[in-house]
This record gives sequence, C-alpha cells and structure tokens, in this order.
Amino acid sequence: MTNYYVKRVLSALLTLFLIATITFFMMHALPGGPFTRERTLPEAVEAALNAKYHLDDPLLVQYGDYMWGILRFDFGPSFRHIGRTVEDLIIQGFPISARIGLLSVIFILICGIPLGIISALKQNRAADYIVMFMATLGVTIPVFVIATVFLYVFSLVLDWVPSFGLNSPGAYIGPVVALSGYSLSFVARLTRSSMLEVLSQDYIRTARANGIPEWKVLYKHALKNALIPVITYVGPMIAAVLTGSFVVEKIFAINGIGRYFVDSVGTRDYTMIMGVTIFYAAFYIIMVLLVDVAYSFIDPRIRLGKRMED
Amino acid sequence: MANQDFEFIGSEKKLDKEQIRPSLKYWEDVWRRLKKNKLAMIGLFGILVIVLIAIFGPFLTGHTYYEQETDYINIPPIIDIYQIDEDTYVYLAKTYYLILVTENGKLIERIPDIAVDQVNKQRTYDYNGEVITVDFSYKSSTDPEYKNVDFSITYKGTEIFDKYKTTVNKTYLFGSDKLGRDVLTRVFYGARISLTVALVASIVNLLIGVTYGAISGLEGGRLDNVMMRIVDIINSIPLLLYVILLMVWLNNRGLWTIILTLGSVYWVGMARLVRGQVLSLKNQEFVLAARMLGVPKSQIITRHLVPNAMGSIIVTMTMMIPTAVFTESFLSFIGLGVSAPQASWGTLASDALGGLQFYPYQLFFPAFAIALTMLAFNFLGDGLRSALDPRLRRG
Amino acid sequence: MANILELKNLHTSFFTHQGEVKAVRGLSYELNQGEILGIVGESGSGKSVSAMSIIGLVDEPGRIVKGSVLFDGRELVGLPKKELENIRGKEISMIFQDPMTSLNPVFRIGSQITEVIMRHTEMKKSEATEKAIQLLKLVGIPEPEDRIRNYPHQFSGGMRQRAMIAMAISCDPKLLIADEPTTALDVTIQAQILELMRDLNKKLNTAVILITHDLGVVAETCDKVIVMYGGMVMEKASVLELFDNPQHPYTRGLKQSVPKDVTGERKRLEPIAGTPPDLLKPPPGCPFSPRCPHTMEICLKQAAPLYKISPTQSASCWLHHPEAPDGLNFIKTDAVETEVEA
Repeated sequence: MTNYYVKRVLSALLTLFLIATITFFMMHALPGGPFTRERTLPEAVEAALNAKYHLDDPLLVQYGDYMWGILRFDFGPSFRHIGRTVEDLIIQGFPISARIGLLSVIFILICGIPLGIISALKQNRAADYIVMFMATLGVTIPVFVIATVFLYVFSLVLDWVPSFGLNSPGAYIGPVVALSGYSLSFVARLTRSSMLEVLSQDYIRTARANGIPEWKVLYKHALKNALIPVITYVGPMIAAVLTGSFVVEKIFAINGIGRYFVDSVGTRDYTMIMGVTIFYAAFYIIMVLLVDVAYSFIDPRIRLGKRMED
Repeated sequence: MANQDFEFIGSEKKLDKEQIRPSLKYWEDVWRRLKKNKLAMIGLFGILVIVLIAIFGPFLTGHTYYEQETDYINIPPIIDIYQIDEDTYVYLAKTYYLILVTENGKLIERIPDIAVDQVNKQRTYDYNGEVITVDFSYKSSTDPEYKNVDFSITYKGTEIFDKYKTTVNKTYLFGSDKLGRDVLTRVFYGARISLTVALVASIVNLLIGVTYGAISGLEGGRLDNVMMRIVDIINSIPLLLYVILLMVWLNNRGLWTIILTLGSVYWVGMARLVRGQVLSLKNQEFVLAARMLGVPKSQIITRHLVPNAMGSIIVTMTMMIPTAVFTESFLSFIGLGVSAPQASWGTLASDALGGLQFYPYQLFFPAFAIALTMLAFNFLGDGLRSALDPRLRRG
Repeated sequence: MANILELKNLHTSFFTHQGEVKAVRGLSYELNQGEILGIVGESGSGKSVSAMSIIGLVDEPGRIVKGSVLFDGRELVGLPKKELENIRGKEISMIFQDPMTSLNPVFRIGSQITEVIMRHTEMKKSEATEKAIQLLKLVGIPEPEDRIRNYPHQFSGGMRQRAMIAMAISCDPKLLIADEPTTALDVTIQAQILELMRDLNKKLNTAVILITHDLGVVAETCDKVIVMYGGMVMEKASVLELFDNPQHPYTRGLKQSVPKDVTGERKRLEPIAGTPPDLLKPPPGCPFSPRCPHTMEICLKQAAPLYKISPTQSASCWLHHPEAPDGLNFIKTDAVETEVEA
C-alpha cells in the first residue's frame, strides 16, 4: 500500500521537475527574448535581473540558480511590474482566485451530484431530460460564452450583480457560476451514468434480494460505488477550474492570479509567465495527488492488492 | 379436434416458424442506430450547415471581412429609425453618428456633424444644407412627461420624439464592429478559420495519436511502458497550459503555428485510446493469424488493428474537433490567436469584450457561433458513441 | 410436510418499446418444506424470471401480469413493497449466478452479512458479527474471524459463493432460491457448493429451488424437477421419473444432449436443432413445436394441457392425447392437471 503512495509522490515530483526545467529552457531559448544578448529592457529590470540571475553566467549556472530559487519559492523579479517579485504577485493574486475556486468546487459538488442522482432515479422522465439538457449545454458552451452572457444579462441589463471586482458577496455569483458551469454539468452527467451503471449491477440485486430497504440500497450501497468515478474526475476538474479562471477573471475584472497570468502573456512578462506556470503545475499536481489518495480510501481494491485463496 | 390434427408435419413447415432476425453489416447497423437518434441527426445537419457557411458564406454577404467603413462603426443589427421628412429617415447611433437610412433599414450615408453644444446638450448635423438638431436634454430631464424620452430630433421646425419603427439593419445583418466591418461576414469568415484550425489540428492529432498508440500497444513490453510514461507525464498538467506556453514561446501568430501547437498536445488522448483498443485486439485470433503469416507490423496496424478500432477513433475525432474550436477560441480570447485582420471566432469575441455593455451583439454572434458548433459536434459525437457501443447491439 | 410455496398460473411480462415480452406464461407448481426443487431450462425459458417474480424483484418494465404466489399460505403477488422487503432475506432468500459481481466491492464481507442480520433481527452489532463468523464457519470458510474483515475482491469465486450462501441463510429462511449458483464456478468447486447446499437443506430443513440448465446438477441434488421452455412448463416430475422415463420430447432431447448419460457411457452429442422462441411474438401453440421431432398439426395451433402421467409426473404435450399416434413411448391419458392459458 505504501508502495502505491510512494510511487505516486515520486512521479509527481519528477513531473514537476520536468515542467520547471522545460519552462526554464523554453523561456531562455526565445530568440530575441529577454534572456538573450539582444535584450532591450528597461534599466531597472535589467539591473534587477542581472543582480538576481547573473545573466552573463553560463546557462547551466543560471538554470541551477533558478531551480534552487524555486525550492525556496523565489521566482525572481517581474519584468513588467518593476520593483515587484513574481512570488509577491502570486501571493497577492492567489488567495482571491482560490476563494472563487473553492466556492466553485463546493457549488459543483453540492449541485452536480444530487442532480445526477435525481436524473438517474427518474431516468427517461421529464426531470431527467431537463437536467441532462441543461448539462449538455453546460459542457458544450464554452466558459467565456457563459461568463459573458451572465455578465450581460445579470449585470449590465438587470443590474442584479456588480460587473467587476469582488467587493460584495453578490459579486461572487457571476464568476462562480461561470467557473462551475462546465464541471457542474460534467459531474451531473457523470453521476447519472455512473449511478445507472451501478444500479444495474448484481450486488444491488443482492442487496434488494436480502430485503435491504430501497432507500438504503440507493444511498448506501449504490452511491458509494457510483461516486468513485466522480472522485476521479475531481482531479481534472481542478484543472478546468484553474484554466477557466483565466477567462472568468478577465471578463469579470478580478485581480486574481489567473488575470495576472493572462496579462503577463499579453505583456510578455517572462519571469511572471514562468513563475505562474510552475506554480499552477505544482498546485495541480499536488491536488491530483491528494485526490488519488482520497480515491484509494474509497475504493478498497486500490488500497489492498488482490489476495486469492480458496 | 379433428383427426388430422394429430398428423405429423414435415420439417419445412416447422422451419417457417423459426424466427430469425435479419442481420446487418456493421456500419449499416451503426448508421441505422444513428439515424434514430434525433439529437445526433440535428448535430450532423448543423455541422453540414456550418461547413457550407464556412465555405460559401463570405462570398454571399456582399461585404468582405476586412473592409472598414469608418462612417458605419458599431451599428447594431436592429435599429430604431426616425422619420424626419416624408421620404427621409435617419438612425442615431450610440456613437452619436447620424445616419441616413431607407425606410427598410438600409444605410445610405452618414450625415456630417456641425457642432456639439455640451451646455444645452444639443448636436447639430448638416443634411443638404438643412440643419438637423438632436436634443439630449430630455435624458436628464426630471419632467415626468419626458420620462422615457432620451432625445428628440428636430428638422425643418418639427420636433420628433417617437421612433418611426424598429427594423433590421439591412446593410449589416449582424451589425458592424468598431472599425465598420460587417460582423456577419466576419463571423462567416471566422467559421472558416476556426473550423480549419480545428479540423487540421484534429487530423494531426489523429495521425500522431493513432500511430503512437498503435505502436505502443502492439509492441508492448518496455517500449510500451516508456511510451506510456511519457504520455502520463504530458498528461500530468492541464494541456491548456502547454498550449499557452508553446504559443508564447513560438511567438508567431500564424494559422499554422496554432494548428501545430494544438496538434502537438492533444494527441495524447487519442494515443491512450488507440493503445487500449490495440491491447484488446492484438490477442484476438485474426491478429495472431496475420503474424503467423508473416504480415509486417506496419501492415498489421494499418490493415487489421486500425479498421477495428475505427469506431472509437471516429468518436474521439468527433469530440476532438469541438475541443480544438474551444481551445483556439480560448487562446484568441486571451490574446494568443490569429492576428488582424484575419478573424477567428475567438478573436472576434475577444475584440468585442470591451464594448460589451453598449454593443453586446458583437460578442454574442461569434460566441453563439462557437457554442452552436460545439453543440452540434457534441450531439453527433454522443450519438456516434451510443450507436457504436456493442453493448447496445441488441437492436 | 407442509406446503411452503404454491405458484398458480403465474404470468410475468416485460413491457418494452417493442411490445410485450412474455417471459413466463402460465407457471404452476408446489413446493413442500424441506424439498429441493430443480427448475431446468435454456436461457430465455423463463426460469430466472419466475424466481424473481416470487420475491417481487421483477423491475420496470416488467411485472407480474396474472397468477398467484402463495408462500406459507400468504399471497405475495400484489404485496406492498415494504412487506416484500421484510420477507426477502428473512423468510425467502435468493442467491445468484455470478459470485464475482454479486457482492458490493466497497464494503467488507462481514459488514455485508451483519447488515442483513441486523435488518431482520433485533441483534446488536456485536451479536450479529458473532453470528456472521458462525455462518462463515458453517459454509466452510477457513479462519472466519479474519475473513469477515476482508473485501470481496480478496476472496476467490468459490469463497464468494459460500459467503453469499452464508448471507442468504443468515436469518434462517424457510425457502432458499438459488439461480444457477454453480454455473460460473469450476467443476470441483461446483461439487463442493452443491454438497454444501444439500447439507444445509438437511440440517436446517430449508426448502430449496435450484435453477439451472445443467441436468447433471439436477440429478445430483434435487428431489423433484420442473422443465421449462419458452416461458411454459414442459414437464414436471420427481427426479427419478424424469431420468428414467421422460414424457416430453424436450426433456428427452435434453437427456440426449449431455455428453455422458446417466449410466456413465460416453456417446455422441445430439443437440436439439433450432433456436429458442422470440418471446415478443410467441407462436401460438406449443413453444417447442418448431424444434420438436414429433410435431403434429395441433401442436402449432394450441398449447397442450398438462397431462398427469403419475401423481408426481405431468407433461404438457399433445402426444399424451388419446388420439395421438402410438409407438413413441408417450403414455396416453385423459387426466389433465390444469388448463394452460396462453
């Protein structure tokens, strides 16, 4: 059992290492980019960079410096925000994004799973069709369409919620809805199909044949099994929420880390791009690892190997 | 009971009674099941329409996607026109341009400004020597009689408050954008770009993915392990991040750059799938037979494995296309898409974001185009998946 | 010996998009306390559905259309769900074919058994756990105190089936229905499971309905047999009568098609030609007529009644009609058990 966990952790660290390395070399290999001889940078930035990274040192030394820096959560100075470091900006922006992200995840699970269950139990009846139709829309309509429609209708036209920033509880509604749209729909569909699959399994028939009351069959025997694929989805779901935040923060003018990332892409703030990419990757990998651990607790087949004896 | 009831009957009569269900060839069966799925058929139809529009649309609108008409910037698809004289109609844009229009809503020309009076909130325009005055003071007036009036138009002494009618903008059916370009044509043209990128990128993904997956699955052993490790590592972080990084790194906004970037990342899904299929197929007898006969590996892949995995491959392809459309729009939306004046749906949406409050149509048309395209492909893909599922083959 | 179960003219159908699939078309039989009844038939003969009908486990889009099921004098057809739930697992238990999938993979074996016990009795957790250990011992699982903490995937197929049996008898049911309990198991394990069931039947005097397609299993284990085809009863007999002197062409065909006959002599396999009927549009008349070597005109028009050959043997075949041709060793009689309604 520990073998499984150890392997996963090592794998995660390896991936992270690779990502950081690739990112570093990509940024440094940019022709005409800031790390090359032909750079033209404002003096202050040049000075800061040089002080930090000794830009005239051989590449491998710079690489070593950078990697060492990462371990200490030091991503260097920002290119565009003169005088501020990348990790500063990350620390500033992340909590905001995290708040919206967390609310979204809770919203997704609290709404998506029950909707999926209802849909499965009322299969092929009105409730099922309605829920599944909405869910299909939710997975196919891109996040920026949902966000802009929401913004337009509820903010600009109806004026029920503010159109930018996060200065009131109401301001969270738009971003959370837009961010959750895709994943909520996916979870609803997944829960439904998983539930239907589980309900057709033999062990459900056994439970019924043993006189277990129907509600217990559904909410104890079926649900626990049905949620297994849903839990495995939570990992990629975090990815969807992470990347969705780029768009949502841009549209709703929220100063989270997603917005910083998009801006830095636009302004070619290379240290920022590198830093945030690595940060995102690390965050995602850690989250997926945590989910995998949780998953192994729910499904005993993962946790304990097979032992066949007769 | 009659006596002949107890006579034995011949076997021919008995075989009659046997009920045999007609058997269908595999693809006929799939098509038959697909046809029954209404949503899938709607999706298929939608895709055909979109493709036709992408190919022929830009020719048919009477506008080009790049010509700018500075007089006609930001005119919505639905306009309120005012009748100021017997045969004279005007439209007042949010930009305060006054446009001469036909009774039907066709734009004729812009009426030049004379002056702006900020104090009295009046603007004057010169129409063939005559003055047209637009009075905005009503907007901030507290007089209850003018509560719903934003402005009045005075021409030759007559002040008009009510609009003549609301009509469709016959010159720009989807309205015009901030440079006076026809949104309809640009959306049609955007279809070309977005679909081309999506299709070609998906094909690239298909080729790379199928080859990679087939080789990995067929070879097995260490090669498979290594290949799949690589896939796992690539898959460890959201693919979108890779795409963004690559686009920044390549620093080029051409079509091919985007296509190759998309193609270089999303193949992992296809590779996984094909490998899975190959793994389950390669132990079947027909593959064994082929190997016995000395058929070279490349032929085993192309002639035996791939055709049998075709069903899943097709479904995956059908779902890859909307993902590519989405990714391309996403990239454009954050500023990494094709450069002006070329337009994909994503860049159209991105450009329109700033004017959302006043000119929402500029964003909604491309956004809905994206949404409808993705819906169509998803419906079709879902339908294909159900139709190809052997478990449902019980007819 | 009291009559523990009595089925009268049971009809169960599934109402699908394409129409009504008549899975069971007029099934009647009696079972006494402590008896082992075998129900034999091919796939699609209706044997499983009839068993599910007894305990009300036939789900949408199926339901019992007609008939009655008397258990211990009590009518089960039409009983409200709650009451059926009380009977299931307690007075009537059922075990199923595939032990690999019949146990919930995310709960421990012990807790699955104790759940059933605590559902139907007043026992507390600790008592129920004790009982579970006893049950596992009873069904022959070694080291039961450790084993109850295992998960199903840690058991082999044979052990899982034993665990299923333990669960089924945990509340001392009067009737145990076993739907092809050994089909998915190795032959050696098969023998063990059957022996276990015989043992339990003797020890606990539980009546057993054993559903199978394997005549060998029937010969070894059952007291009496019902042969089903196309949703209807073809023959009913005691086990000796069935093997000594089958009175239905289908039963005779089945006998011919086993590799070794009862005497142990090897012979050529003689399959029964043809395929099972489509229950969506069942042909009028005898369901076996398309495949029967002795079909007569009347067989195609009308299903035969159950002719009583002996107090314990009946066969639904027109060959028993006095006017039918002779020479095939089908005993003629006028005595008829019930009118078969189609």
